[in-house]
Amino acid sequence: SCVLCFSFPQTRFYAAQAARKVEVTGFHPQDVQVTRLPSGLVIASLENYSPASKIGVFIKAGCRYETPENQGVTHLLRLASGLVSNLHICVFLCSVTSSRENMTYTVDCLRDDVDTVMEYLINVTTAPEFRPWEVSDLTPKVKVDKAQAAQSAQIGVVEGLHEAAYKNALCNSLYCPDHMINNIHSEHLHQFVQNNFTSARMALVGLGVDHTVLKQVGEQFLNIRSGAGTTGAKAQYRGGEIRLPSTSSLVHSAVVSQSAAAGTSEALAFSVLQHLLGAGPHVKRGAGVASKLVQGVSKATADPFDVTAFNTSYSDSGLFGVYTISQAAAAGDVIKAALAQVKAVADGGVTAADLTRAKAQLKCHYLMSLETSEGLLEAMGSQALTDASYQSPEEISKKIDNISLTDVANAAKTFVSGKKTMASSGNLVKTPFVDEI
Amino acid sequence: MMSIAARSGVFSPYMQATAFAVAGPLKALVPGVVVKGENILLNPKKKFLCRESLNGQSPKTGPAVTVSINGSAGVRFAHTDITVPDFSDYRRPEVLDPNKSSQDSSESRRTFSYLVTGATAVVSVYAAKTVVTQFVSSMSASADVLAMSKIEIKLSDIPEGKNMTFKWRGKPLFVRHRTEKEIATEAAVSLTELRDPQHDKDRVISPSWVIVLGVCTHLGCVPIANAGEYGGYYCPCHGSHYDASGRIRKGPAPLNLEVPYYEFPDDNTVIVG
Repeated sequence: SCVLCFSFPQTRFYAAQAARKVEVTGFHPQDVQVTRLPSGLVIASLENYSPASKIGVFIKAGCRYETPENQGVTHLLRLASGLVSNLHICVFLCSVTSSRENMTYTVDCLRDDVDTVMEYLINVTTAPEFRPWEVSDLTPKVKVDKAQAAQSAQIGVVEGLHEAAYKNALCNSLYCPDHMINNIHSEHLHQFVQNNFTSARMALVGLGVDHTVLKQVGEQFLNIRSGAGTTGAKAQYRGGEIRLPSTSSLVHSAVVSQSAAAGTSEALAFSVLQHLLGAGPHVKRGAGVASKLVQGVSKATADPFDVTAFNTSYSDSGLFGVYTISQAAAAGDVIKAALAQVKAVADGGVTAADLTRAKAQLKCHYLMSLETSEGLLEAMGSQALTDASYQSPEEISKKIDNISLTDVANAAKTFVSGKKTMASSGNLVKTPFVDEI
Repeated sequence: MMSIAARSGVFSPYMQATAFAVAGPLKALVPGVVVKGENILLNPKKKFLCRESLNGQSPKTGPAVTVSINGSAGVRFAHTDITVPDFSDYRRPEVLDPNKSSQDSSESRRTFSYLVTGATAVVSVYAAKTVVTQFVSSMSASADVLAMSKIEIKLSDIPEGKNMTFKWRGKPLFVRHRTEKEIATEAAVSLTELRDPQHDKDRVISPSWVIVLGVCTHLGCVPIANAGEYGGYYCPCHGSHYDASGRIRKGPAPLNLEVPYYEFPDDNTVIVG
């Protein structure tokens, strides 16, 4: 060792030194701030010290607000967001997301570029131009969009499910129907924007943006259309069936019934029920041991299958049920086994352990969705739109904890006794009709 | 209130209908799209056939569709989706209808096209010729040089019988005011005795003035005026005798003295050249 010491005269002994103390440099976590402006516009923001900012304009202008004269206009609106003429600033990402309730315009940019990006957002939401020749150029894109959506059987079944379940509003599809493809013109888009993109139905949400800046933008620029616009019709559930036969050997089938509107405690109970029954895999390549549905169906068939509980809530209605994917020959058995599992829950076959697990899974699902900036923005935006406030994850977790076994059982009973809607696609030879299940 | 998250987790990336992420250079998550006229052909890679591959394929909630600009987007196959633009605004109306034969209008179209082409060709050839000649003629002598090629002589300065020498175009010019006797003598000379036969009246415009180049036609020396045996000029180099008209009479010179172009604008001036 003496020889070694001679060979390396500069020994450093770093390990022997005390660990350096790391000081907190002053970034304190901040809360979400929500303000409602007199015009009805809701501003929500969170300073997350991220170098990239994310700004979203959430508008209650989903496809449920389409009328029979302009069905499909939201599909064109989605595609028309690329028609903004001054889109020469390409240092940001922007996207449009539309669901049945809301339409969201989101931009990502670096923190310093927020001003230029706000200009684009304001342009798109308050003064879109929709030149007639540009709108007619969107027709091939609509067709490509629809062809790509037709590739996915899930989309076909879920859209068909909504069409069969409701008489109006919520039955409108996210995609432009075939008969309207060439019949949506720029006047329809202008009118839809005029009627629905009003301040009272908008929320401006930002991550990594100053709240005062957003408020200023909201007051100055997003006040062009005030008022509540045209009120959408209340969705009327009818319960029907739609069958989409095809040559695919896999049968996708959804059986649902009306559940509760979003925001109510019944809706939360349905969410807990969804996770109780099994809502997607939680372990990679796992056998779905925790999912009641999967266990029930695996007793009915040995073929490959998949089953989840389907749950969606809108502002005045909701759907809850089961979604199954199975081989064509086993379709009937799979659907019946899945529904039997739900009935078992309705009849009280739920243990406290199951309930705890379900609640934990639901909380986990919600909290993990908040970990991405997209998920957080979407959560903030939807809450801002519906009740102009933001509930912290802790409050939500408490609400979830307050759901009892009876709530869940009642939810299941509502499903079992409610009028069913069914949508199936694939080779439907062995698939039962809605009145046979 | 809890927003029902439409985001799916890691294991079931399914419910965003048209938002795709291109997974990498080797594998595209988006099926290729070929647009052929009205037909849209997709490239479906149907691969669900085992228990695990179906795992998580069922949707748990309603979908939301995202379209994104310069974000992660679909894959573009440029060679199949670039369309030829519509040029019907610029085409002849006779051939716009794809269902009508274009032979009916072919004669009139051809005539028109050839006529226009021919006329344009003629006009452009003429224009080219004009331009070329203008450029080439710019190399010819300029006006000052041309001006230097003429000489204007006042005849009243030259007395009778006298010969005056001027420098013209680099050569000596002899202007001789002939007396009556000399005129008569020269006119009477018979042409048979002359080496280079030329009558006097062919060599002068006005008989009293003879204007010749003072360059001996033998070897180019300058003859001396009022010398020699014939009352004209004598070249001292080799002994050529010229008469008062500038014709060679004796000696080795073969030709008469050269008479340049001249004219009398009035009685008192002559312009040579």
